Amino acid sequence: MRSRLLLALAACLASSVAYAATITVLVQEAALRKRAQSYAPSVGKAKLGQKFETLGLESGFYKTSSGYLHASAVTVKKVKVGSAESVGGSASAEEVTLAGKGFNAQVEKSYGDKNSAEVNFSAVNAMERRSVEEGPLFEFLRAGGLLTEGGSK
Amino acid sequence: MRYLLLSSVLLLPGCAQLQSMNLTPSTLTGGRLNSNVDVMKVAKGVNQIRKGFEDISESEEHFIGRAVAAQVLTRYRPLNDPGLNAYAQKVAQAVALASDRPSTFKGYHVQVLDTAEVNAFAAPGGFIFVTKGLLKLVKSEDELAAVLAHEVAHVAKKHGLKTIQSSRLTSAFTILGSEAAKSYTSQQVSQLTTAFEGAVSDVVNKLVVNGYSRDKEYEADKLGAEYAKNANYDPSALKSFLARMEKAGTAAAGGMFKTHPGAAKREAELGSMSPAAGYKRSSERGRRFSAAVQL
Repeated sequence: MRSRLLLALAACLASSVAYAATITVLVQEAALRKRAQSYAPSVGKAKLGQKFETLGLESGFYKTSSGYLHASAVTVKKVKVGSAESVGGSASAEEVTLAGKGFNAQVEKSYGDKNSAEVNFSAVNAMERRSVEEGPLFEFLRAGGLLTEGGSK
Repeated sequence: MRYLLLSSVLLLPGCAQLQSMNLTPSTLTGGRLNSNVDVMKVAKGVNQIRKGFEDISESEEHFIGRAVAAQVLTRYRPLNDPGLNAYAQKVAQAVALASDRPSTFKGYHVQVLDTAEVNAFAAPGGFIFVTKGLLKLVKSEDELAAVLAHEVAHVAKKHGLKTIQSSRLTSAFTILGSEAAKSYTSQQVSQLTTAFEGAVSDVVNKLVVNGYSRDKEYEADKLGAEYAKNANYDPSALKSFLARMEKAGTAAAGGMFKTHPGAAKREAELGSMSPAAGYKRSSERGRRFSAAVQL
């Protein structure tokens, strides 16, 4: 009886840990870093909707087997992405992001058509293309004396 | 044994929660896309569980920010100076990395505006604007970093989204609460567009016309100085910029003088902050600032 209870307890404990440790990426792309530091070199990229099991939280980063992910780029909430036809008549903000619903490109197009004299989306698109990759950015930081030895802050 | 039973009872909800997730082995495998999920089905029936600004999704914030930016870019002409825009972009990304929110849905983006007005503002999602007039008052890369870090703080704390009237969100969430198929019907799009227009208008009015509350500006000052410090810039650079701004104009001059609290008050609220241990003066920062900011 005692050993069965112990086994049940262990199973439940394992389940609780697994539940708490699943995270889902909520941004288009986030760096998986070598260490739990903003300026640590990246070892890969995590994509929107990708799921990871975490091995703990360190200095605002979730440790995963693939690298460290900043906590602001993921959710630890349970995201209903099962095979059911619906999600029971409700969806969270996280689920809306993953589904590409809510205020989306379709709504933006309608808004742009209706307010064409007051908006300049082509300038916004040009602005969005202006992004610096990690390599040149870190070189910029290094040249300016902003990166300490080892590439971390 | 009694403790063991008690522990089991406490832990049972964990088992139940895991079962309710209906997870498959692939969903629990780290690092792989969840290929057996039809995410479009997720949005069937978005409803009441979303209530306020905090329930605006990352992607929705991005689209609100794009529309706010699109309005800003008709009110102000974007400055066509690739070198200066690229330089400001690098400095903004440097401080954003050191912030509480290094990644927005599609990242941070900067545009210099071709106007003599002294101003800087940030739209939700990470669209940051700084005017030529403001850049003329900035005298170093550390000061520019401080100004941009202040804007990053507004984004990180979602100050823009907080200005959206809750009635607009209630309206949008109610529409979304109805059955949402793969794409919306024309009627749904029309209703959503009306709610979207209102939300964008709320943010634009706050950013460009009225300005944030003093509390939000002071919070952005303090956080911005922290981000600058984390990035190994001089956190006191914001104070030196504010001191120069104080001499440069009054509320009658419009722009930041009108939409932000007085510079002297901001300096007082900011207090003192010493640089990080890794802070170093750098002639290269001075060189590249002078090369990029020639106005």
